[in-house]
Amino acid sequence: MGAGVAPGPGGSAMRFGVRARRVAQVAGVAGVLFAGAAAALAAPWHVVFEATSPYHHIRVIDEDGMRVLSFDGSTETQMSLSDPLRGHFEYTEYFHLVWLWQSRLSNVLMIGLGGASVQRAYAHYYPEVTVETVELDPTVVQVARDYFHFKEGPKQKVRVEDGRVFVRRTTRAYDAIVIDAYTAGRYGSFIPYHLATREFFELARRRLGTNGVVAYNVIGSLRGYQADILGAVYRTLNAVFPRVYLFPARESDNVVLVATCASQPVTLRQLQRRADAIVRGRRVSLPGFRTRVAAFRSLPPSNAHRSPVLTDDYAPVDGLLSGRTLRALEAAPAAPASPRPRK
Amino acid sequence: MERVAVGLLVFLSGAAVMVLEIIGARFLAKDFGGAFYVWVSQIGVVLAALAAGYYAGGALADRAPRMGVLAGLLLPAGALTWVIPDFSGTVIEALILRHPADEPIPLVWQKLDPALGSVVVFGLPCFALATVSPFMIRVAAPCPGHVGRTSGRLIAASTLGSIAGVGVSGYILLDVMTVSGIFRLTGVLTGFLGAACWGLGRWGPASRRAREAAP
Repeated sequence: MGAGVAPGPGGSAMRFGVRARRVAQVAGVAGVLFAGAAAALAAPWHVVFEATSPYHHIRVIDEDGMRVLSFDGSTETQMSLSDPLRGHFEYTEYFHLVWLWQSRLSNVLMIGLGGASVQRAYAHYYPEVTVETVELDPTVVQVARDYFHFKEGPKQKVRVEDGRVFVRRTTRAYDAIVIDAYTAGRYGSFIPYHLATREFFELARRRLGTNGVVAYNVIGSLRGYQADILGAVYRTLNAVFPRVYLFPARESDNVVLVATCASQPVTLRQLQRRADAIVRGRRVSLPGFRTRVAAFRSLPPSNAHRSPVLTDDYAPVDGLLSGRTLRALEAAPAAPASPRPRK
Repeated sequence: MERVAVGLLVFLSGAAVMVLEIIGARFLAKDFGGAFYVWVSQIGVVLAALAAGYYAGGALADRAPRMGVLAGLLLPAGALTWVIPDFSGTVIEALILRHPADEPIPLVWQKLDPALGSVVVFGLPCFALATVSPFMIRVAAPCPGHVGRTSGRLIAASTLGSIAGVGVSGYILLDVMTVSGIFRLTGVLTGFLGAACWGLGRWGPASRRAREAAP
């Protein structure tokens, strides 16, 4: 803390004459500037908040005009200090695409708060949409309020609870459910398995209306980095929802999966026409909304057919993340690739 | 030979406890969520079951140092572990859905519900498995002069078994088996340990000594 706020020598100038005072003030300002510059050179970033919650070592770091939320040493969220609506990760903008299937979006459930990038954007661009957020870690909620401009109100509610417990107990219906409860750590990613199984997606589907959609962030890529987990989450979503589409982010290894209750398939052309209508109707004013639509991909990931459907009974997410489970399944096809459903 | 059998018995019972603990925490997460309290309560409940099991096992061993007693504890525990996937869903559902819908669960129950679930599902099997070590110390110690060495050896074997149980369940079993499959396997193992106790009591040399040591 405290870079650039070192007290200058100006304070002792009070008993001199005006001229002397002015000189002292200039010296003081110069002193402050110098101290600030020196601090900036010595420490280009500084920690404005640090705490250890039951889940993470949380730090808020200001660096080069950006505010960064770090969990266990890896960046969760970032935000521009001068404009909180800028500087966020590009992948979070794909969460706005639920509008393409819900042109009258009014109720959204979000699982995972983090640095509130999506919540902040929704509150700004669609102030009439009600957003309920469920976040497991109370410290994260506090940090989002204090450092990431997250404001609670009648349209922005937050509940400290596990996402699955909430979805199981709620009786409300939502137009869309946005799931970003996946964290990346220094030693790779961590995926809460109980938010990625067929049973969980069935619970989620029960809370959606007729044209409801689920948008799910997977840290991974179509080929290579954590492709196994992407294939498995795709296949699991597809076991519950008739259509699943992929939106691979351009700037990071994230893929946002959009699963729809509607069984009618859509094409990129149709989605672009819908996007044009929505933007023309001024329902969505997010800059670059139409560019995000172009990332659309309707083909399943190439490994989806040999990925397991994740269930409460068999969800080897840690093995999938490290790539060893799919290799083992291929070596021994008799292994329980997709165990029979238990009801 | 007998030493190896006794050591293996204690080792495997230590392993079974930790498989239940680690897989159990994972199992409870689907109902109670990924909350920190799930881990806290699972560890706390298993330790409480161990404490009760050690106490009861030691007392039983002095009263009736017969291997058949241990078999009588482990066989039902194995059966109970086998049926965990069948009965636990209903019990836990009742535990969670007793809170009014759409309202936050009071913090005290967010903390205690996973512990209650853990007691109901894992309490008795862990209790029964914990009786093995003190019981075997009483039965296997050839004379009071060797109690120190015998207890040290058996507690070490049990703890080594627990380490193996943690590693095998966390690093291997979850990737290759279903959770219900792992419970069934642990049930079979516990039942097998019960049968082994019965066999040792019937034909093993420990039974002879136990009969001599009996008051």
